[in-house]
Amino acid sequence: MDDLNQNPKLGAADRPNSYIGRSVPRERAKKLLEGKGKYVDDILLPRMAHLSYVRSPFAHAKIKSINTENAKKYPGVLNVFTIDDIEKVCSPWQGVLGHLGEMRSPTQYPLAKDIVRWQGEPVAVVVANKRAVAEDASELVEIDYEDLDAQLDMETAMDKSTRVIHDDLGNNLFWTRTVNQGDVGEAFKQSHIVEEVTLDFARHTGVTLETRAIVADWDSSEEKMTVYHNGQAPHMMQSIIAKHLNLSEGLVRIISCDVGGSFGIKVHVYPDEMVTVAVSKLMKRPVKFVADRLESYSTDIHSRCHKILGKIGVNDKGKILAFEIDDLSGIGPFSVYPRTSAIETNQVLNLSAASYIIPNYKAKGTVVFQNKTPMCQYRAVGHPIAVAITEALVDKAANALGMDRYEFRKINLIPDNSYPTKTPSGVPLEDLSHEACIEKLEKMMNISQLEKYKKESLAKGKYKGFSIINMVEVTNPSPAFYGVGGAPISSQDGASIRLEGSGAVHISTSITEQGQGTEAVMQQIAADQLGVKIDTVRVTHGDTDATPYGGGTWASRGAGIGGEAVLKASRKLKENILNIAAVIMQSEVNNLDVQNDQVIRKDGGEGISLKDLAQIVYYRGHELPPGTNAELIATASFSIEGIPFVFTNSAMGCLVDVDVDTGLTKIEKFWAVEDCGTQINPKLVEEQIRGGVVQGIGGALYEECIYDEMGNLTNGNMADYLVPMAYEMPDIIVDHVTTNSGRSILGAKGAGEAGTGGAPGAIMNAINDALIPLNTEVTSQPITPEKVLKALGKI
Amino acid sequence: MKSPAFSYYQAKDLADAINIKKSDDDAVILAGGQSLLPTLNMRLSSPSVLIDIGSINELKKIKVEDSYLIMGAMCSHSQIMNNKEVNEKFPILNKLLAQVAHPAIRNKGTHGGSIAYGDPAAELPAFAVLVNAEIILSGPDGERTVSAKEFYKGLFETAINSDEILTSVKYPINQNGMKLFFDEVTRRHGDYAMAGLVGSIKQNNKINEEINLVFFGTGDRPNEAPKTCEYLLKNEYNYSDIKDTLKNDIDFASDISSSSDMKAHLSAILVGRMMKELN
Repeated sequence: MDDLNQNPKLGAADRPNSYIGRSVPRERAKKLLEGKGKYVDDILLPRMAHLSYVRSPFAHAKIKSINTENAKKYPGVLNVFTIDDIEKVCSPWQGVLGHLGEMRSPTQYPLAKDIVRWQGEPVAVVVANKRAVAEDASELVEIDYEDLDAQLDMETAMDKSTRVIHDDLGNNLFWTRTVNQGDVGEAFKQSHIVEEVTLDFARHTGVTLETRAIVADWDSSEEKMTVYHNGQAPHMMQSIIAKHLNLSEGLVRIISCDVGGSFGIKVHVYPDEMVTVAVSKLMKRPVKFVADRLESYSTDIHSRCHKILGKIGVNDKGKILAFEIDDLSGIGPFSVYPRTSAIETNQVLNLSAASYIIPNYKAKGTVVFQNKTPMCQYRAVGHPIAVAITEALVDKAANALGMDRYEFRKINLIPDNSYPTKTPSGVPLEDLSHEACIEKLEKMMNISQLEKYKKESLAKGKYKGFSIINMVEVTNPSPAFYGVGGAPISSQDGASIRLEGSGAVHISTSITEQGQGTEAVMQQIAADQLGVKIDTVRVTHGDTDATPYGGGTWASRGAGIGGEAVLKASRKLKENILNIAAVIMQSEVNNLDVQNDQVIRKDGGEGISLKDLAQIVYYRGHELPPGTNAELIATASFSIEGIPFVFTNSAMGCLVDVDVDTGLTKIEKFWAVEDCGTQINPKLVEEQIRGGVVQGIGGALYEECIYDEMGNLTNGNMADYLVPMAYEMPDIIVDHVTTNSGRSILGAKGAGEAGTGGAPGAIMNAINDALIPLNTEVTSQPITPEKVLKALGKI
Repeated sequence: MKSPAFSYYQAKDLADAINIKKSDDDAVILAGGQSLLPTLNMRLSSPSVLIDIGSINELKKIKVEDSYLIMGAMCSHSQIMNNKEVNEKFPILNKLLAQVAHPAIRNKGTHGGSIAYGDPAAELPAFAVLVNAEIILSGPDGERTVSAKEFYKGLFETAINSDEILTSVKYPINQNGMKLFFDEVTRRHGDYAMAGLVGSIKQNNKINEEINLVFFGTGDRPNEAPKTCEYLLKNEYNYSDIKDTLKNDIDFASDISSSSDMKAHLSAILVGRMMKELN
């Protein structure tokens, strides 16, 4: 099928319609900027009712009784449900998978049953004609609780005296894993220098601009459940809703309209969303639930929450001999369904030290339960912890040896000519470019100039520091990520593309749009491959009734997997078009091509427009010889085979100023060199990197879910939970190295995780570089002014 | 986060607003709504009626009268920042207001609202205390004046009676040759300060004759620091001594942004910055 002569080189700028590799403006941006985006909360259906959840005010308590009578009597209230009602139509679930060893997480019910296990857990739901009325009545639901001891601190989770959250499990352990390559014990003995550090990472969350939202509409006449949901994986939700509400999967339709940011927050199964679907079934009417900001903070999944001990051993030449980590993480009272809450720690174990040649590697991860909001995968899963511990130790080792940090990295990085190879933890790696990236970064940053600037500043009493870090990034996962463990999550994605009677081209894709430009990227690939003008191409996505089956958008898989499906489908359609044109134009296929919406003859002479060709096919098919294959629609699928993930890599650096009076850190500049293979739209790639860096700055300096000693979240609002804002953001300078993935024709890898994964380590190392003259360091993120001043002994 | 039901009343004039306020103890004045509306939506308060004073034009004026700069309660922060008279008489106000939240909030948020709400972390109450502003309250029995120093009684507690409305704030233009200082330490631009200081110094032949310090974000109201001022009149700035003296002056109260120790430290740093800038 693939005639390479017919398929010009990707991104060849000298031919018409070469959209791949160009920063084509995306038309959807205009729609969003004009306020014309359509979000779940914009959905208004006849007879639609509104839900408000009554949530647990306690971190851990027994439910002695629930009285809904007064709430039910409140004017405007349609009904009030508890687990007794909901469990009749919605079965419980368990957040465990089969491929990563034993996971111990109990059954989780859609509403709390007998016991509440985190502050914010839904206990009852009020259905009313308006949200405000439902909230009024929520205050009238009387729940009698008996307070239980809360298990909050992950470090004491396994102590004998600590309250066990799930009695049946016997203790608070969810999951543990060890990796052991080589012999670290012996290697540490042989090391010239051994350095250690312990890092802490606070809990934080995704803070999407649009909060979680769902409208469920049960049509009892068709037995059909239509769900408007601002998620990232419509087909996963289709399968899960069908399973737990005992519906025919083909009769569950998930529609994801515009989504206002997701960052992994919206790829999980939430009790309140499942209950919303159940309520629609019970009441035979459409119902809407939109999480408010308070609910977002206390019920959206949280992330990070790690304490990690790391140790590095280096010989006198600066070669790393051994690397060891011991990571502890707390995940709330349940492992989150269906992806589980083991993946972040698993990634920490897989990704630590992954940029370097390290013959002896040992890693241990322990994941425990807590009476706090459930924790699960959020952008750059595990990366910030893995990168920060690795790069902190690398800096420490280089400094202890008195070696330049850049030179130290260069002698330890996995060389660009050594692929395929494996990470120290044993995960396959291919097509990476650490050396090329760090060399480019060194030039961009002008390190010798920075050293001079640092020295001059110090003479004036100013503490400046800079960093250089390396990282790998997990993107484009294969079935090895979730499917192999039993989760209904497709690793394959599909695209269907058709030429219409008007000459317009229409793609439908299983990849969803969360505001990052999916539509634009798919348009570019199709227009480039077909030879049409980009404004000829329309895109449908986010509707299980209208798109091919697929995994959706997460783990930076949209462009690399979904884009490849579009590329393959476009090539099939083009082949069909040329075959039909050859008949119409009485020409050899090889003499034809498509450019600017026209089939042209390569040797000159009259062509035919795609519109005319389509109209012959659709309206006047009798003009074609009998038996002509006149299909103007083509479909293709793609998934990654032969490797668990398509890794990408990047190098980053930053320059900071630490004010030793106030403890405030100012990031003066940030640099990133990313290798995501083929860039379909460089501007979108760069904005993914910049946006990711900003989110990483959030984790490094600002964001933290703060709990009191009773397990109450105390800063669930935008005034007290600090997100990074424009005023504080530095210039973020981005450049690229391009090493195409050999796993696809397109060669694209993902670009969404790098910034968030790399920035926290880069910032921490830069701050610690600034603090060297003061003989202290910071090891806990977010690195607040107070922590800096404490490290300095000023408070 | 939908507020409980409430009535809305758009007052025609001040007398109208006072009448409604007098007749209903649970009525609340709606100015710019930048603090009130979030508290309603978070169901932290449930007033019976919001009396909107936004269409009373006499409350939106900035005037100079009898050596006072007078700000109507409904002047927005942006309006004040763009006012020539204000920028001539109190250039420091522009610098201070630029740290109040963000432009969208400054376009809606009002001078009277900030003074009346009395958030201990807000800049304007501290400024009013520092420059001896007079706060004009109107009630059923007419107008009365309360000195800013007497106005703040405790956490979000002020001298406003339940049937009164804050109508304007009068700032004495003649500050007796005082040089004014403002600075604050925030995690992000526009955040409530971990600690902030407005201060003034009067000098004669480079000798400090009078020093005033008012801190915000440090306790339950704008905090004056008389002992520290006294210390500074007699001694050179010394970080440790100042921090100790400040702890005698102020009961530093921790909040979610910083511990009391942090606030004491930052306050001492701010005093150092002021002495350096104004001396």
